[in-house]
Amino acid sequence: MRTIGRLGIVTISIVAGLFLLGGSCVFTYNKLVRLDQAAKAQWAQVENVYQRRADLVPNLVETVKGAAAFERETITAVTEARSRVGQVAPSITNAEQFREYQRAQDQLGGALSRLLVVAEAYPTLTATQGFRDLQAQLEGTENRITVERMRYNEAARAFDTARASFPTSIVAGVFGDRFAAKQYFAAKAGSDEPPKVKF
Amino acid sequence: MYAALAVIALLASTPPAPTRWVEDRAAFLSPGARETLDAKLAGYQRATGHQVVVWIDKTLQGAALDDWAARTFEAWRLGRQGSDDGLAIFIFAEDRTIDIEVGYGLEDKVPDAVASRIIREVMTPRLQAGDRDAAVAGGVDAVLAAIEGKAWTGTPATAPPAMPTWLYVVFGIIVVLLFIKFPRVGMMVLWSFMGRGGGGGGGFSPGGGRSGGGGARGKW
Repeated sequence: MRTIGRLGIVTISIVAGLFLLGGSCVFTYNKLVRLDQAAKAQWAQVENVYQRRADLVPNLVETVKGAAAFERETITAVTEARSRVGQVAPSITNAEQFREYQRAQDQLGGALSRLLVVAEAYPTLTATQGFRDLQAQLEGTENRITVERMRYNEAARAFDTARASFPTSIVAGVFGDRFAAKQYFAAKAGSDEPPKVKF
Repeated sequence: MYAALAVIALLASTPPAPTRWVEDRAAFLSPGARETLDAKLAGYQRATGHQVVVWIDKTLQGAALDDWAARTFEAWRLGRQGSDDGLAIFIFAEDRTIDIEVGYGLEDKVPDAVASRIIREVMTPRLQAGDRDAAVAGGVDAVLAAIEGKAWTGTPATAPPAMPTWLYVVFGIIVVLLFIKFPRVGMMVLWSFMGRGGGGGGGFSPGGGRSGGGGARGKW
């Protein structure tokens, strides 16, 4: 075997260096894209289940209105919270917008759970099939919201961890806003307290 | 501190995946009824691909049912990967609770209201009358009847991560150079790109499905 010349060693070093650099850039970039996509897909699920809940509101309000003398205040709180939810633009990278969105959604959730509690005082209403179905849908949707929010937080955390760790942070930095950090859901304020009922 | 410990204890409490379709840890069903149901659900999965399981235990020891059910479903990976067509009926004998947990792919066949009706109208009256075998068998029949209809076609595959063209070009050049200089290393690089697979199995095996917390809960 012939000895490798000086030029050969330089060429090999350059090629190896290029390979390492290019390869690691590609892998890092792809990893970030994959985690970013996963977080976005999970966010879409969160929006889906929130939308699902919002879609239940008109039906629920109609059903409850049918019950004689159902507390108007409770119904108004729900319809108002529902319309506020539609006005807030969601964003997973803007802290302000994200908080605003979460607050609006939590308010709707709170108003709905109060409505369900108040409804217990109207046995003729809660005995109807229509109300029971709506109640089941609402409970199922709240459960979905919890699950999807938790999964979104996990996906966002996986992305942020990768993004902030070295050397991925360099690649993320090169692309700037393309890989901005994600926001998380905080536990619902007061979610461990039962909803208050006023009569 | 205690809260953290409690959370850890809660997370650890997911039971191991079942080894059959009907698992009864509370001697809730008569052996004959359990066998019959198990064979029925095994046959159902063979015929339709949908994985429907019944899991009975004594008590959840105060854990939150919906949270537990969602995590257990996730850990067991019921249903087929991609179509997420699994469904689990959880029953806790001493807690007197039922949870029907529906995989993503069956949500339109078994919406929450239907799951809730199955619990309220099919299972609860029979349980209150003391006929456990009929309650569970009736619940399973009602669930299967609800699923029947057209099969769900599966989740659209998520788009593969996009790589900018220039990175492809750079990488391509490097690989070509590598092949010229060191064919072996080049092969290894190519190999590392391939080699991803999956597997199935005989008998009962969880498939990789997911649920999003859909379904219903009830007490009797």
